[in-house]
Amino acid sequence: MSKDQYATALKTALTEIKNVCPDIKSSFIFTKDGAIVAGDSEASDTIKKALHSFQNIREKADAIGGIHALSVNGSEGNMQISQVNEMYLATATFKNADTKYLQTITGVIVPTILKLLKDIIHAPTPPKAASPQQLTVEKITGFFVGDSAEVDQKILGEWSKFFEGKTINTVEIQAPNGKTTRCKVKAIDDERLEGKGLIRIPEKRLQMLKVREEEVVRVKPITP
Amino acid sequence: MSSEEEPTEKKEEKKSSKRRNKEKSGKLHESLKDIKARAGVIGYILRSSDSASIDLKDPTKIIDYAVLSSTALEAGEDLSKTFELGEIQNVLLEGKDAKILSLKVEDQRLSIFMERTVSHEKIHKDLNI
Repeated sequence: MSKDQYATALKTALTEIKNVCPDIKSSFIFTKDGAIVAGDSEASDTIKKALHSFQNIREKADAIGGIHALSVNGSEGNMQISQVNEMYLATATFKNADTKYLQTITGVIVPTILKLLKDIIHAPTPPKAASPQQLTVEKITGFFVGDSAEVDQKILGEWSKFFEGKTINTVEIQAPNGKTTRCKVKAIDDERLEGKGLIRIPEKRLQMLKVREEEVVRVKPITP
Repeated sequence: MSSEEEPTEKKEEKKSSKRRNKEKSGKLHESLKDIKARAGVIGYILRSSDSASIDLKDPTKIIDYAVLSSTALEAGEDLSKTFELGEIQNVLLEGKDAKILSLKVEDQRLSIFMERTVSHEKIHKDLNI
């Protein structure tokens, strides 16, 4: 997940909270270092001023163990800045806002979204899987055939692109009867056979798979 | 009403205003003394333009607390201007270890320092401001 997507997700959350609590004048999320993560874009100058004021306190707050929360209660409205995980959430509200309700909403929604986003960012990326190709079998026979299957150079190139330029050395072949086998792979060396959607497989492998010539098999590359 | 009576009236008004302020100040000091004795209350700083009353359990922290409380009130005023919050009623700054309730009382600035578990709402109420 990119920074932009992260910010968009948080901004959407803030907008939704504002929809639920129309008494919110402005809301934004910023890091401990004072970098704005998400907020009302139309009020960016206002936010910068607020951050400056907040940073002034933060620099001197060691005496009370840093800043956990700051509330400013005025005759016309309130401002609440509270720590949420590794960030701060700021909300400015109108005078008669139900601050307890607001705190309940923000205190549940924002930490949940932050945790969710953090989990998404740190989640292991699923293993890449290139889509299998359906190729027609051609048998390779002879003493020196070796154990490698052969496919079009074009197909190998596409798979290679999928794996960010890595060379594809191994494929998995699945027969129509469900049997599978892994073997080495290389490009077809005969121009006349190129572009025909063929996979040339050594005879021994075909026997193992119980597949005959001209049958169609599924072939997929194995992550290099 | 003659022009000579006006200054006398004004003088009387000023005197009575001073008396009221003195009474208020006396009551505030009494309230603070009572609050300071409560469990979890670390102390307070009450500043006017020409004097300050400081009562903190740990005198080594006076400067840190004085600077922090003053900064918190100033930042509160800045935030109030920025977000049009009106006249500041109070600023509450909560840390991991302690919290500060700062407010303006007439021309004085009061900051009360307490542990996080102490109810600042009750303290605010008991100040009778």
